[in-house]
Amino acid sequence: MSLIEIENVSKEYKSGTEIVTAVNNISLEIDRGQFITIMGESGSGKSTLLTMLGGLSVPSKGKVLIDDLNIYALPQNNLSDFRREYLGFVFQTFHLIPYLTVEENVMVPLAVGDLTRIQKKEIVHATLDKVHLKEKSKRLINELSGGEQQRVAIARALINDPLIILADEPTGNLDSKTSEDIMDIFGFLVEESKTILLVTHNKVYQSYADKKIFLKDGKIYGGD
Amino acid sequence: MKIYSIAFQSLRRRKTKTIFLIIGLFLSVTSVVTLITVSENINRSVAINLDEFGANIIITPKSDQLMINYGGLSLGEVSFNNSQLSDNDLQKINTIKNRKNLSIIAPKLFETVNLKGKNVLIAGVRFSDELKLKKWWVIKGKSPLPPNNILVGSNTAEALRIKLNDTVSINEQRLVVSGILSNTGSQDDGLIFMDIFTAQTLFRKLSKLSLIEIAALCYDCPIEDIVSQTSSVLPTANVTPIKQNIESKMMAVHSFERFSLGISLVMLVTSFLIVFANVNSSITERTKEIGIFKSVGYRNSHILQIILTEVIAASLTAGLLGFFAGISASKLVLPFLSMHGLSSFTYNFTTLPIAVLLSLFVGITACIYPAIKASRLDPTVAFRFI
Ligand SMILES: Nc1ncnc2c1ncn2[C@@H]1O[C@H](COP(=O)(O)OP(=O)(O)OP(=O)(O)O)[C@@H](O)[C@H]1O
Ligand SMILES: [Mg+2]
Repeated sequence: MSLIEIENVSKEYKSGTEIVTAVNNISLEIDRGQFITIMGESGSGKSTLLTMLGGLSVPSKGKVLIDDLNIYALPQNNLSDFRREYLGFVFQTFHLIPYLTVEENVMVPLAVGDLTRIQKKEIVHATLDKVHLKEKSKRLINELSGGEQQRVAIARALINDPLIILADEPTGNLDSKTSEDIMDIFGFLVEESKTILLVTHNKVYQSYADKKIFLKDGKIYGGD
Repeated sequence: MKIYSIAFQSLRRRKTKTIFLIIGLFLSVTSVVTLITVSENINRSVAINLDEFGANIIITPKSDQLMINYGGLSLGEVSFNNSQLSDNDLQKINTIKNRKNLSIIAPKLFETVNLKGKNVLIAGVRFSDELKLKKWWVIKGKSPLPPNNILVGSNTAEALRIKLNDTVSINEQRLVVSGILSNTGSQDDGLIFMDIFTAQTLFRKLSKLSLIEIAALCYDCPIEDIVSQTSSVLPTANVTPIKQNIESKMMAVHSFERFSLGISLVMLVTSFLIVFANVNSSITERTKEIGIFKSVGYRNSHILQIILTEVIAASLTAGLLGFFAGISASKLVLPFLSMHGLSSFTYNFTTLPIAVLLSLFVGITACIYPAIKASRLDPTVAFRFI
């Protein structure tokens, strides 16, 4: 049984009177521990597919099953809880909270859980250690470089030890040297057998992938 | 870190926003507290000084033969010979429900006597009460204390050529003029005042009274209540309120209260709008943040909790600060508003919970709609704004 199964999923957006089909009838199975890359031109529907997988955007048609759970059939609160337990997101523009420190940003997903203060601290420090940011844990976000900010975002995605990491062009805003640092971390996560879906324009990363998905006009085309 | 810590960090590290939020609420709390405190103090000073305006209730017997005009007011007819009021009635008056509102009860016995060929009206009074009732009296000499001392009105003193420390004989009783009343412009100028018990003995009217004057401190209870309570314990007497003594004063106080209420409402609406605009705009700015919270698995209620915690903390701060600022402002403006000069300034700590609750009420009602709207935001839409 696959960890992620999507069946005939479509997403349509209304823009004015026009209907834009961002994702068009895609079916896909992803196994536990697989490293998947999603590629395609701008506007091909990569982000839309990822947010549907992440329980952030309801498909217009079709089902998303994760761990055999039809996630969009869940009540809203349970879907939120599910996201917190199963998923970690990493975005191109980092999406950190500017008025929180590094440590606090990483701790955000834990603030609604019921761990003790000491447990939270321990987990945060261990996670910051993984992304080599332990010494900067008290800094505010705007005191960090882009690469460092993305590492904070990755730490936040990892804090709940999720099964699945969804990363939407995590190196899109970074120079090539910094990008390599970030990809090293992803390589490390692959070794840890996290299930990773990575949207990227960079062909180099394809070589690591267990499965490559090419999108064009909201459809899967070619690939393997 | 808990959900509320996120709210506190947001308040702490985005100071300008926080300060604007607090100022919006603070202004209205301050003005409401100031208005409450100022009108309380003015009312209190009116209450304290109410007896300075003289009696506001007069009790006379019902069946009478002679008209008497006292204090410029027609009192109806007063029987001189067959007085129906007595000392017992004083005790009865002290049993009414609102007896705490009766600040002065001044009984009087009137009698005309012939002195040096002229008819003079004698008033037997309890000096202790009379002097409290007529704070405007200026007495040359001493206010009479021993029972055989009298106080003579200025007109009478002039007409009869009575001087201080003269001796006057009434019904063969020798009485010492211990004081002469300076001109008051009232009926009192034509009277001779003596101790009521001396008068009752002298005129053989033991325990009889001609009328009773009452000063009631009744600024928040209707004077009619006291009048009707008194009437029911004294069924054979006329109990007459003298409204004009206090009504104009009360009208000034009430119109100030209405004015305060009006300003308070305007301030509340203003600060409601300030907070609403503030929360609403900050939520549009925080769309991305809300998207982040959703993507890490926050429920709508968690997001609502963060926004509400911020507003509640700001409201509490504004309520507390506004209370103390309002008290200080009252202290500053009161001397300019009070006509008596302020003898003492008081403020009420029950205004503190009012201030805090008010602030919370305005804060929460102003932010609840934008907050709920924000918590329901679609996260993918949230991220597209960036
Ligand atoms: N909320 C929305 N409303 C209307 N149209 C949308 C919305 N989100 C996406 N689209 C449209 O859906 C299509 C797919 O968008 P999507 O963001 O998934 O593309 P993408 O492959 O991630 O592109 P990029 O590489 O530029 O990030 C585009 O045509 C886009 O304009
Ligand atoms: Mg995209």
